[in-house]
Parts: sequence; C-alpha cells; structure tokens
Amino acid sequence: MKLKEFLKKANLGGKAKLVWYYFVIWLKMGKNAFMVYLNQKKILAIFLIGKIIRFVLFLTFLYFLVSGAGDLAGYTSDEVIFFFLSFNLVDVVSQFLFREVYRFRTMVVSGDLDLVLVKPLNPLFRILFGGADIIDFITIPPLVAATFYYGARLNPGFLEVVFYLALLVNSLLISAAFYIAVISAAIVTYEVDHTVMIFRDLSRLGTVPVDIYKDPLRFVITYIIPIGIMLSFPAKAFLGVLGIKLILVSFLFGAFSLFFSLRFWEYAIKKYTSASS
Amino acid sequence: MVRLTMYKYFQVGKTSLKQEIAYPINFVMWRVRNIIQILLVLFLWDSLISDPRKVLFGYSRDMILTYIFGIMLVRAFVLSSKSMDVAGEVARGELSNYLIRPVNYFFYWLSRDFASKVLNLSFVFVEFSLLFLILRPDFFFQTNIFYIGFFIFSVFIGILIYTLFLFITSSVTFWMPEMGWGAHFLLNVVLVEFLSGVLFPLDILPQAIQKVINFLPLPYLVYFPLQIYLGKQSTYELVRGFVVEIFWLGALALFLNFIWKKGLKVYESQGR
Repeated sequence: MKLKEFLKKANLGGKAKLVWYYFVIWLKMGKNAFMVYLNQKKILAIFLIGKIIRFVLFLTFLYFLVSGAGDLAGYTSDEVIFFFLSFNLVDVVSQFLFREVYRFRTMVVSGDLDLVLVKPLNPLFRILFGGADIIDFITIPPLVAATFYYGARLNPGFLEVVFYLALLVNSLLISAAFYIAVISAAIVTYEVDHTVMIFRDLSRLGTVPVDIYKDPLRFVITYIIPIGIMLSFPAKAFLGVLGIKLILVSFLFGAFSLFFSLRFWEYAIKKYTSASS
Repeated sequence: MVRLTMYKYFQVGKTSLKQEIAYPINFVMWRVRNIIQILLVLFLWDSLISDPRKVLFGYSRDMILTYIFGIMLVRAFVLSSKSMDVAGEVARGELSNYLIRPVNYFFYWLSRDFASKVLNLSFVFVEFSLLFLILRPDFFFQTNIFYIGFFIFSVFIGILIYTLFLFITSSVTFWMPEMGWGAHFLLNVVLVEFLSGVLFPLDILPQAIQKVINFLPLPYLVYFPLQIYLGKQSTYELVRGFVVEIFWLGALALFLNFIWKKGLKVYESQGR
C-alpha cells in the first residue's frame, strides 16, 4: 500500500498524522534495509550464528563463574544473568534501531548528506532510523523470552516491573541521545567509527552489575558516561535495590541527555558545509 | 642472499610502522579500546576474589590478577595483527599487485605484523605501568628462568599460529569475496575471544570441556603461554602442550599452503 493511501485510510489529524507519516517511512526504510541483508543470506547466517554463539558462551561463562564463586558483588547467579539479559535487551534494541549511525561518516565525507537534507523528512530521523538491522531484529524475541523467564524466577513485585519497563525505555532514550551526539560530532570532526566503538566497549562494562567496579571508575560510568544508569539501573529497580531517588535521577538524566544532544545536533547541522558534494 | 631478503622484509616492516604512526589517532583509539576491554575482566575477577586468602577455581588473587595483566601483554604480542586485511586485498583483487612482485605474500604480512606488534608493545608497557600504579594489584613475579624462556617461546609460536589462522580465514574470499569480515567475525572475534583465554583462564571450565579445547589451536594463543608463566603446568602438561602447539603450527602451515594454491587457481582479480 502506498504512503498516500495509508495516510488517507488512517484519517488522522495534526500530530498523530505526523507520527503515522514517520512510522510508515520507518517501515519502508526498514524493509529496504532488510532486503539488502536478505540478498546476502550467507552473510546474514554467519553473523547471526556468531552473535548467538557469543551470547550463549558468555552466558555459560557467567553462570559457571558466579555459581562457582557463590555470588558476584552480592548478586546470585540468577540475578547476574538477569543483569546480563537486560544489558543485551537494551544493547540489541538500540543496535536494531540506530544501526544507520555506523554509516553516517561516509554520508558526511561523500556529501551524500545533501540528498537527505533536501527531502521532506526530518534529517535526524533519517540518519538515526534509516537502516534497521535484521540480525538484531531476529534476536529480539528470544531475548525478550529469556529475560521474561529469568525475571519471573526472581519474583518481582508489580511496581518493580513497572519501574523496570520505564527504565528500559529511559535507557533507549539515553542511547538515542548518545547516537545523536555522535552524529553531531561527526559533522564537526568527520569521526564516527572510533567514538562509537569506544562507546560500545564502555557499554560492555555494563554486562555485569556496575557495583563490581571501584570508584572513581564506578562514578564515571554511572554518572558521567551513564552506562550504569542505562544498563544496570533497570535490573536494579527490578530487583528492588534501587531507591526512588535514583529512579528519578535516571529519568532526569534521560531527559537532560536527550535535550543536550538535540541542542548539539542543531548546532552541528548548521556547521555542515557539504564540502565533498 | 639471505641478508638481502631479510633487509627487504625489514624495510616492509619499517614502512608499515611509519604508516601506522602517520595516523596516530586511529592507533591511540585502538589502544584506549584495549584498556577498556581489559577493565571488565579485571574488575570482574577482582570482585570475585577480593580476599587475598581466597582460592577460586585453583587461582589465588595474585595469580588471577597476574593472569589478567598477562592478557594485556600477550594480546599485544599475539593478537595485534594486521593480517586480517588480507581478506579485503583478495576480495578487491589487490593481491595481483603482490603476485607480480618479488615478495612472498605471507612473509610480507608477517613483517607488517611484527612492526605492528612492536608499536603495540611499546604502548602496552606504558598502559601496563599506569594501570599497575593506579590499581596496585597483587602480582605474581615468575623467577624461574626456564618458565620465562618457555613462556617467550610459546608466545612466539602463538604469533605464528595466529597469523596462519588469519590467512586461512582470509582465504575464504577466494571463493566468496563478500564473506571476508563475516568469517573473521565468527572465527577470529567470537571463537578467539572465548577459546584463547582472553576472557578467562580456560581451566575454570569442567574437565571434559577442557580436554577437548586443549586439542584445538586457540588455547595456545594466550592461555597456554600464561599458564607457563604462572608455573601451573606440570612437566607432562608442558611437553604435551608444546607437542600439540607445534603440531598445529605444522598442520596449519600445510593447510594454508594447500588452500592458498587452490585459491590462486580460482582467483580472478575481480575489480582490477
């Protein structure tokens, strides 16, 4: 069904119409990105197998390790696995949504960003969501199922589940803020790859509860580069070990980081010179 | 003649080193990433064995922290390699440029690898010292000269095994040019991460799994050299380890020779 027909059928007004407009475009861009991968089935299979092996081996390693030691920073093996699954959930969903960011540098240095800017579409939306990743998409349902299974074993209360889900959304907002900051910096410095990879490496520190790190590293990865807020706090809220004050601080962090990254984007896009086109 | 050949590859290494220094930010960022990666492993074990008297999976605190600091060093020697780029050169048809030159392609990359390792190693010493001063970990200093000698020898063989492994993986691109990064991701990122001992000492795994893994080439990249340094290998285990390691070195060299010749027959220099 064509976009115009969609909009006609939806019969929406104002902002709802705009959201629908962008949602349909996102579906189209996602479909195109998936088609590219589906044309290279062997590559798709090899990366999928690699990701699954990596996930299973790390999970097994954590299980052996914490079972043998009795606990990790006071958390049982089931709890540590839940931290790991929550980390993966945020990581995989953000990779699925924002994969296009990894291709942004080429867009800037080749001048192809011009082609995005002239379209009747928010360029930030196109740059962030332009290429959903099918490999991550395939891994989301089993990951959600595993998180649900382990979560249920921990017998959380209703409120803990609500906080957990809200903090997961907050984590995705922080992740989006980071990617916006990266693409903004890319316009100014032409550098993306290393910044993203360093962020990915730092994120991996959140594979396990941030409580294992010592200060000042723990402080830095919790409040300066908010890996802890993003990856550890949801699981902590779920386990009921995160106070209401820190939950509120997390939401404030999410809102502020998104606000400042958007300001940075507005500043950076004005600096774009289209030099290579 | 030998001297001239050596000089030729020395010059390749020297040029490669200059090339890496010409892009310092890339290199520094790569080193920063290495430090961040080691922090997870370091603090994970630090948290698990916080008591100096505690022994977990046969490791005391000083032994495990030495193992982790050792990973930094051995990684810089063994796993810092540029030979991964071979896959791209074959896929893009750039291999032709070397086939018409009086150079052995394997030794050409080995020379570049050694240059890269020298650069990485010089940085590792600085990082090692800084982390050591900041974290002040309990550390086990090996004083037995034989263990140190065997450690250096096993690292040297590990370097050769890893280079052969990268070349064999890259050879996939003779038949499937688009598969280069995929094959490297599966074999040299995922499997090496778990089976070489970079993430954890392999002897924490159940005996049955260890027996199988010890017959694969990957534990000889990081785990085996560090076990020798820590003096955790009995004479029998040491001999058996070196026999298996040298077997893999020979087997991989023969396999590469076989697969490379087959690959060159189907090589079409696409894109040239």
